[in-house]
Amino acid sequence: MNPGPFLLLALLALAAGVVGGPRFPRAWLGVSLTASLAGLAAALGVLLGAPDWEWRGVWRLGGEAIHLRLDGVSALFLVLLSLVSGLGALYAREYWPDAENPSSAPRGRAWWSVLTLSMGLVLLAANGLHFLIAWELFAVSAFFLITLDARGRATRAAGWLYLAASHAGTLVLFAFFGLLAARTGSWDLGPMRDQPALASLLWLALVGFGVKAGVFPLHIWLPSAHANAPSHVSALMSGVAIKMGIYGLVRFSGWLPAPRGAAWALMGFGAASAVLGIVFALAQSDLKRLLAYCSVENVGLIAAGLGGALLAGAGNEAAGGNLLLAGALLHVWNHGAFKALLFFGAGAVLHATGTREVNRLGGLWRAMPWTASLFALGSLAVAGLPPLNGFVSEWLIYLGLFDAAASRGEAAGPAGLTAILIATAGALALATFIKASALVFLGAGRTPATRHAHECGALMRGPMLFLGATCVFLGLGPLGVWPAIARAAASWGGALSPVGEPPVALAMLGRAQRVLAVAAVVVGGALWHRVHSGRHRRGVTWDCGYAAPTARMQYVSGSFAGIVSGWFTWILRPARTLRRPRGLFPAKAFHLERVPETVLERVLGPVAAVFVRASNAVRRLQHGRLSFYILYVAAGLVAVGMFVWVGSLR
Amino acid sequence: MMNPILEMPLRLAVWLLLAPLLPGIVNKVKAWVAGRRGPPVLQLYFDLAKLWRKGVVVSTLASPGFLLGPAVAWVAVVGAALLMPLGPSLAGAGFRGDFLVLIYLLALARFCTAWAAMETGSAFEGMGAAREVSYAVLAEAAIIAAVLSLSVQTGNLSLSTMLAPAAGAGAALLAAGLFVVLLAENCRVPFDDPNTHLELTMIHEVMVLDHSGPPLAAILHGASVKLLLFSVLLVQAVLPIGQFAPWAGAGVLAAGVLGVTIGVGLVESLLARLAFRRVPLLLTTAFLLCLFALLAAWKGGPS
Repeated sequence: MNPGPFLLLALLALAAGVVGGPRFPRAWLGVSLTASLAGLAAALGVLLGAPDWEWRGVWRLGGEAIHLRLDGVSALFLVLLSLVSGLGALYAREYWPDAENPSSAPRGRAWWSVLTLSMGLVLLAANGLHFLIAWELFAVSAFFLITLDARGRATRAAGWLYLAASHAGTLVLFAFFGLLAARTGSWDLGPMRDQPALASLLWLALVGFGVKAGVFPLHIWLPSAHANAPSHVSALMSGVAIKMGIYGLVRFSGWLPAPRGAAWALMGFGAASAVLGIVFALAQSDLKRLLAYCSVENVGLIAAGLGGALLAGAGNEAAGGNLLLAGALLHVWNHGAFKALLFFGAGAVLHATGTREVNRLGGLWRAMPWTASLFALGSLAVAGLPPLNGFVSEWLIYLGLFDAAASRGEAAGPAGLTAILIATAGALALATFIKASALVFLGAGRTPATRHAHECGALMRGPMLFLGATCVFLGLGPLGVWPAIARAAASWGGALSPVGEPPVALAMLGRAQRVLAVAAVVVGGALWHRVHSGRHRRGVTWDCGYAAPTARMQYVSGSFAGIVSGWFTWILRPARTLRRPRGLFPAKAFHLERVPETVLERVLGPVAAVFVRASNAVRRLQHGRLSFYILYVAAGLVAVGMFVWVGSLR
Repeated sequence: MMNPILEMPLRLAVWLLLAPLLPGIVNKVKAWVAGRRGPPVLQLYFDLAKLWRKGVVVSTLASPGFLLGPAVAWVAVVGAALLMPLGPSLAGAGFRGDFLVLIYLLALARFCTAWAAMETGSAFEGMGAAREVSYAVLAEAAIIAAVLSLSVQTGNLSLSTMLAPAAGAGAALLAAGLFVVLLAENCRVPFDDPNTHLELTMIHEVMVLDHSGPPLAAILHGASVKLLLFSVLLVQAVLPIGQFAPWAGAGVLAAGVLGVTIGVGLVESLLARLAFRRVPLLLTTAFLLCLFALLAAWKGGPS
């Protein structure tokens, strides 16, 4: 199957979406879904065995002939892009309707199409210059989507921060592509492993793409941007946009000769991201901010797997390396699926209650049973628990790390350490998502905000159901996706022999997952039947004999996360304001706690403050008084004259 | 090797039927140390039978997850147990990486228990769930370090081959580390006191305060299977079970498990519960013990 016509169809549909989207919402939905289906068809065609697709145009853009390529790696990411952008378009129709947002909804549709189109072009571009153009378009359109509702101060600040951080990354990428073109003599991109002189350039790529991917400590823009964007945008950003950074990392670590240090760095920063990302997530009480930090964790997991694969490739341990690479690539899909699901769920909660603050929610399962159960499913998946998809990719990564450790090769020590760190991150993720889903959906409602909550409609529920089903399918049938992953891994181009047959253990794992799922359903049904066929009644929760319990006495975010945040105060640096009750009739007492973004507020903030102070000092010279300006000029002239005179004396 | 069609039901029967014996033995040991007669060894069987016949009170706040949580947790624990080999004669069909499935099934059980606890909206149960999931972070790191040391020692990645030989140089460290993890994961003294019913001081017991009848039976039975699972893991990790003749291996395993159970009982009789701020310290010690076992395995060379 030739993917060309499908890609052309997707391109035309998205272009039509950009032009006509603002005016014709129904037609826009139609073309967006068409583009998604066409993109999906093209990408799946390549993943399921069609040869790589390559196309060179006769037109020139910026002096370079247009060159597009769809191979296994780009197809893998294109599947995710098509899926989430299509579902997001559906979701947005109910979540961000024209009736409530007369000015921002039409704008949002056009930018959504631009964003989807530019991300698709990033994946297809096989020319460095065009890659940069698409990359910039992608960054800018994402900015306009994040600030779609720019009335809030926090949203505007988040948008600017995103734009600044994104451009800092783009600047590094300019240097990267520029130097690459200078050293190879051409902007064309492709495998260049035979040119050892290019090895040092990979460091630039790591930083530039690392900013977009949100690897710790380059993640500073991510939490606020993902939290403040409209939820369908958050889903696309967290599910797909940060994967563009991962795409860059995967792409160029495979195409360029990889220095060993870069592999160590990927693995080390990946493992650190995994642990610290989830620690920050656990400490958050804003549901969407929590999900955003969790993306840092998952990106770290992918980066660690990729770094491990590079190391294994350098050390000739193909078996373990293949597992790591496959795990990292599969986790790209898995994270895209469950994180989009969770952001859609968070959006439904925000839509129904008007707040993202988990300490104000509670007991929503009664009003929103669908959202509650799908969010629970997503929580199980993101915590990496069997029998869902998150576990499969984590299992592959673990197995690769254990392989490296047990073989006692060069990478054995760091692999073992990474395995322990990932296990810690996994246990922390479990704590985080128990907290998130339980505080929002279980117990009693904490504030009046929960009283008028309502279930979301079919257009919001449908995408969530689809993503939930994807999580279940990827978990129960891991063998089914193996060919696609193997195809992507084969076109990675790194120093690993192509991934062939699926490991036997993966088949066993799939069987174990299916047995577990069936057994859980059977036993759950049996216990349910047993309870409901016998005597059963409802009673109040046992409250230790207390006479007047209130919903505010339930555990909240801070109390749930208290033990773990206590271990990590060295990095969390929570800002606390405490006023104890005083006197016989205490009037007012409170305890406020806020967890700042440490890297941004405690490291970059002070550094930036020094710059601002220095600039302010310099600015005093610029006061607008003409006489002083004349003095500056005169002093300058005298100085130059002195300089020349002293020089002529020598 | 046994006929696989026969083996599975046999292993299932061993796990399901023998597990409730262990808490009985622990209680008998405690009674013996204290000079009491104590409840019969089979007390938990009677309790389970009684609970299964009883009715259920469900909190007005609870969703269906309150009942499904214990069911899924029980399935997860039993599933984890079925992955664990029972000596050379009942090793089961292992696969590479099955130990990870085992560890994550226990995590699934933890998720479900904590979920069901949070269903009630009780601050006590929130407290218990928070403690359970927080301390599990350290316990999980320790377990991964322990299995890592076993896989480095044997160069193997499936439970049946990892657990067959002796633990080698770091055996004593590994045994100590895993024993502490066993106490923590099964909520025994010095981490938790299964005897008290003072909510403020408990971890696991406080999470199941609002459960009653058949779901409580599933929770109690699951807890006993988990205790047996950790004892079997500890014994097989340390002793070279794989080198015995099949039935001798089973005998050694049974004796080892009995020894561990008596050890739990003795610890419970002789130690007081730790203050909560000391708990992370002890768990970190367990993690370090497992880490040193890993280093010992590393330096010891392949077995």
